[in-house]
Amino acid sequence: MAHVVLKDLVKTYGGFKAVNDVSLTVNDGEFVALVGPSGCGKTTTLNLVAGLIPVTSGDIVIGDRVVNDLDPKDRDIAMVFQNYALYPQKSVYKNLAFPLQMRKLPRDEIDRKVKEAARVLDMTHLLERKPRELSGGQQQRVALGRALVRDPAVFLMDEPLSNLDAKLRVQMRSEIKRFHQDLKATIIYVTHDQLEAVTMADKMAVMNGGYLLQYDSPAQVFAHPVNMFVASFIGSPAMSLIPLEASTANGNTALTGAEGWSLELSPLNAQKVAKATSGKVVLGARHSTIRLHKSAVPGSVPARAYTVEPTGDVTFVQALLSGAIVNISVSPNISVAPDEQIWLEFDQERIHLFDGETELALKAG
Amino acid sequence: MSTIVETAPRGPTRRRMRVDGWRWAGRIFLVFMLLYTALPMIWMLLTSIKSGFAAMQFPPQWWPEEPTLASYQKLLDPQNSVGQDFLRFFWNSLYVSTATTILSVIVAVPAAYAFSRFRFPGRNFLFFTVLLRNMFPAVIFLVPLFILMRAIGLVNTHGSLILTYLTFGLPLAIWLLKGFYDNIPVQLEQAARIDGATRFQAFILIVMPLSTPGIIATAIYSFIGAWNEYIYAYTFLSKNEQLTLPVGIQRFFSENTTDFPGLMAASFMMSVPVVVLFLVLQRYFVRALTEGAVKH
Repeated sequence: MAHVVLKDLVKTYGGFKAVNDVSLTVNDGEFVALVGPSGCGKTTTLNLVAGLIPVTSGDIVIGDRVVNDLDPKDRDIAMVFQNYALYPQKSVYKNLAFPLQMRKLPRDEIDRKVKEAARVLDMTHLLERKPRELSGGQQQRVALGRALVRDPAVFLMDEPLSNLDAKLRVQMRSEIKRFHQDLKATIIYVTHDQLEAVTMADKMAVMNGGYLLQYDSPAQVFAHPVNMFVASFIGSPAMSLIPLEASTANGNTALTGAEGWSLELSPLNAQKVAKATSGKVVLGARHSTIRLHKSAVPGSVPARAYTVEPTGDVTFVQALLSGAIVNISVSPNISVAPDEQIWLEFDQERIHLFDGETELALKAG
Repeated sequence: MSTIVETAPRGPTRRRMRVDGWRWAGRIFLVFMLLYTALPMIWMLLTSIKSGFAAMQFPPQWWPEEPTLASYQKLLDPQNSVGQDFLRFFWNSLYVSTATTILSVIVAVPAAYAFSRFRFPGRNFLFFTVLLRNMFPAVIFLVPLFILMRAIGLVNTHGSLILTYLTFGLPLAIWLLKGFYDNIPVQLEQAARIDGATRFQAFILIVMPLSTPGIIATAIYSFIGAWNEYIYAYTFLSKNEQLTLPVGIQRFFSENTTDFPGLMAASFMMSVPVVVLFLVLQRYFVRALTEGAVKH
């Protein structure tokens, strides 16, 4: 196993910058998820690490070697592709043996390693089948087996679960996590599904538009998103973002909604708002930090219920507030009707404040 | 209950009758098509085993009264002059067609792969100029190509035919194979390169086996084109010992009084390699079709 360092990595296609000055360090044995919407540059970044496309500028270090100019075969990596990329004309056994044959291992050692990998992944009975005779989950497993049979320095995974159905995806998610824990493998994992990133990774790198926006543990990214994009991308349902106007009177700072109500801020939050470049401030709140009241209480603001979605153990209410949709989760024994007048109370210690112009998170001090 | 019993059999019967009507129409059409293509072949075969006199009779002998293999024996006998000529023409045709096929596969495979996988300046332009040649009737190029061949001293050589047939066969071969390569996911090669293969090894070990049906289809196409070609062979070659079968058969038999059983026997033997080629390789066509159906 080895660590991976990306230094000021840039990839341009013509005038288009697909990857823009991305720098990050993946420590030995760490599971890092590159996450972002489609076209954000995450797969391009992975292909750069794999050596499938040439780097425009910057450095890629695997272990202690700069690998920029090395062929994929010389980088000591293994990759699991979104469509598995199993060799259709070869049996499962030969698929697993191929990377070992290419490295000219003796035949008995190949046989031993293939059978060991098949045993670990519980597919000894499938070895003689062709890929097209396997189910999606089994194909996925073979793809994983072909990666681990070689004991590479780094595993690269490009949306390996996105072709599976929902139930199988959850199951394979825990298998890959287990696989990482057992092997202490260095893994770079690309996904557009923030839930996969949050549940599996030690660290997540949130990308958008070719830029690396935030690189931290899932808990940190969840608790302290650096800007509005990260805030709305991580977490489900998404964080509600409500555009408001800030104003200060008599030393007290308040946020005013489009409906005319105002919300007085705590001193800490007032400090944050003071840093804003203009009066425009966006209030962010996650569904579980908002309390719903059927009548006005001090510190609450009026809103109108829009839709109500019972899921069984929790009911999600969407409400209209200052032109934005606000998600609130409530206990299922509270009944709310669409268009009903409700009052929302925000937890001042857990709200997020963003600059309405720069979209960056506002920080105190 | 009684209404159900009454109506139930009527619906399905009526529907079955309609389906059967269409099915019978289809069968009759297919039988007609079969007769249309097979009857001339059958007549060719029947005539080839008649005696010269029986072949000229009118009304014709629908079934040969005294079947004989004399025509075949004559054509395949290296001792007499007819047999010598026929066998020489046969080998000439085989040589030209095989050389054309091998060269066209050797050129078309890397060309099609490059058009499919690489983005280079002028790619689209080149790809369409490849097809440009096929947008004109072949005869238009007859005189220019003859002048060209004379200039480079290839007239009266088999090389002139091989080169010419390549210009006909290659564009379609490249076009056809490019389609095959487009359908092979690029991730397979990427996986192979990560698994330790060079780009070339990935092509040879992974892509080539997957495109075998396409290569075989291309090869058959080139072979048949060269095997049956008449007008260029007629124009470029004048020495008797160089002629290919289509020209040779025609010239050889019309010089004497037309020996119809001999002509038919020669035509039949000329069709044998093509038929054999199809029979041996048709499973690859079937595989190409079924594989295309399940992938993606």
